[in-house]
Amino acid sequence: MAKSWVGRVRGWMAKNMDLPQDVMMDLPRITMIGQIHIYIENHRGLLAFSDKELRLLLKQGQLLIKGNYFVIKTILPEEILLEGKIDQVTYINENPGGTK
Amino acid sequence: MKNEWIVFLFGRVTVKVTGKGLERLLNVLMRNEIQIWNVKRHGTDTITFKISLDDAMKLRHIVRKSGCRISFLRRSGAPFLMRRMLKNSGFLIGAVIFLSIVFLLSNVIWGIEIKGAKPATEYQIRQELDKMGVKIGKFQFFVDNAEGIQRKLTNNINELTWVGVELKGTTYHLQVVEKNEPKQPKKLGPRNLVAKKKAMIVRMDIDDGQKMVEVNDFVEPGQLLVSGEIGQEEKEPELVAAKGDVWGEIWYKAHVELPLKTTFNVYSGKEKRKYYLLAGGKEIPVWGFGGHEFKDYKAEKNIHKLHFLKWDLPVSYVDKTIREQEKAIRTYTNKEAEEKAIELARNDIKSKVDEDAMFKEEKILHKDIKNGKVILDIHFKIIENIAVGQPITKEIHE
Repeated sequence: MAKSWVGRVRGWMAKNMDLPQDVMMDLPRITMIGQIHIYIENHRGLLAFSDKELRLLLKQGQLLIKGNYFVIKTILPEEILLEGKIDQVTYINENPGGTK
Repeated sequence: MKNEWIVFLFGRVTVKVTGKGLERLLNVLMRNEIQIWNVKRHGTDTITFKISLDDAMKLRHIVRKSGCRISFLRRSGAPFLMRRMLKNSGFLIGAVIFLSIVFLLSNVIWGIEIKGAKPATEYQIRQELDKMGVKIGKFQFFVDNAEGIQRKLTNNINELTWVGVELKGTTYHLQVVEKNEPKQPKKLGPRNLVAKKKAMIVRMDIDDGQKMVEVNDFVEPGQLLVSGEIGQEEKEPELVAAKGDVWGEIWYKAHVELPLKTTFNVYSGKEKRKYYLLAGGKEIPVWGFGGHEFKDYKAEKNIHKLHFLKWDLPVSYVDKTIREQEKAIRTYTNKEAEEKAIELARNDIKSKVDEDAMFKEEKILHKDIKNGKVILDIHFKIIENIAVGQPITKEIHE
């Protein structure tokens, strides 16, 4: 109850005070360069990694990236730079099917 | 982002990890702020990644807890490169020795070529060069530079009017102009001899031609002394080249002023030598450090270009000599000053007249000592050859 109230205040501030949403709401910021690079800030950890798939934990839900020839170029506590051929980026909302 | 070069400097290792729960391991590494990059998966339970050398030490500890097995695959970067280089240090030493030998040989004098000199003068020049240390096989940076050699040669060898010294690669090229170049006997055309100065004739030695004036005659400049037209009066005159010396007495007046007291700068003999490498306008001291305690001094700089094969290096070798100067005061008594002044005047006149001129008489017309100066007016009587050739042209003949 309290949390959603804080969340609502934050949403309102971001909307009305022109503040960037990713900072205010703790959302991931994803930058893609064509199909070859994807750069994700503000993630919460690595869940699965293979050369065809990368699964990241977010504050809310997960991020699933599919493609081919994946290489993690850099990995830092809050940032990750992935290289390869990216086919799809999918948000997975919290559901019982997640690998949590 | 990490800097490639810094990582290269500290070294990096490729690590292979085998086991289960690799993602968990990655998360643990991440949280421990261990930087990893180029993470690749090979099959279901193997990943490889790169890690910096210092982090590799911590890695073993963390991985042991997770129950995975690690092995190090490839090491690269400066620390490993250094280790390999030390192992193969023979090559490195060889390369350094080779470069230094080439460098040293590029700065050795390999030849001295002298052009335009008679054999006798050439021999003299070679001896003088030997004395200066300019010899085949010597290092260029221990001898004077080209201008210095040029100056010394011109000063020390009287036979030289001018010598051009040029350093081309490892060879000194000397272009010599001698004072008495062998004269080519000139074929003289018909000519008269005329006076070049106002004079009184004292003696005439005529080899060829018709005498037109007598001893004790006064002549004006341009007056005909010896005619080139000879022969009987009725016949067509024969034209010859008049030859001979006509000695005339000429008066010169000289005015000299000589201060009784003169201050000079002389070297005290104390000197300090400094050696530098000059690179990009900056002087890097090589030898001879510290300042000097000379109050009054003169510095002489000698710049030697360094070569590598045929190229000039952007580095020059400089030797600097700082010599202490002292003030010396020269004082003349009145009599000494007078003698000196007369000598000065004589030298001054000598430079104006021919070399074979003779001094007949000198008389002091006026003497004065004023403001610490000796002022003299001297009258000189000089006997000089006043005859100069003047070709006979058609206009004169008609």
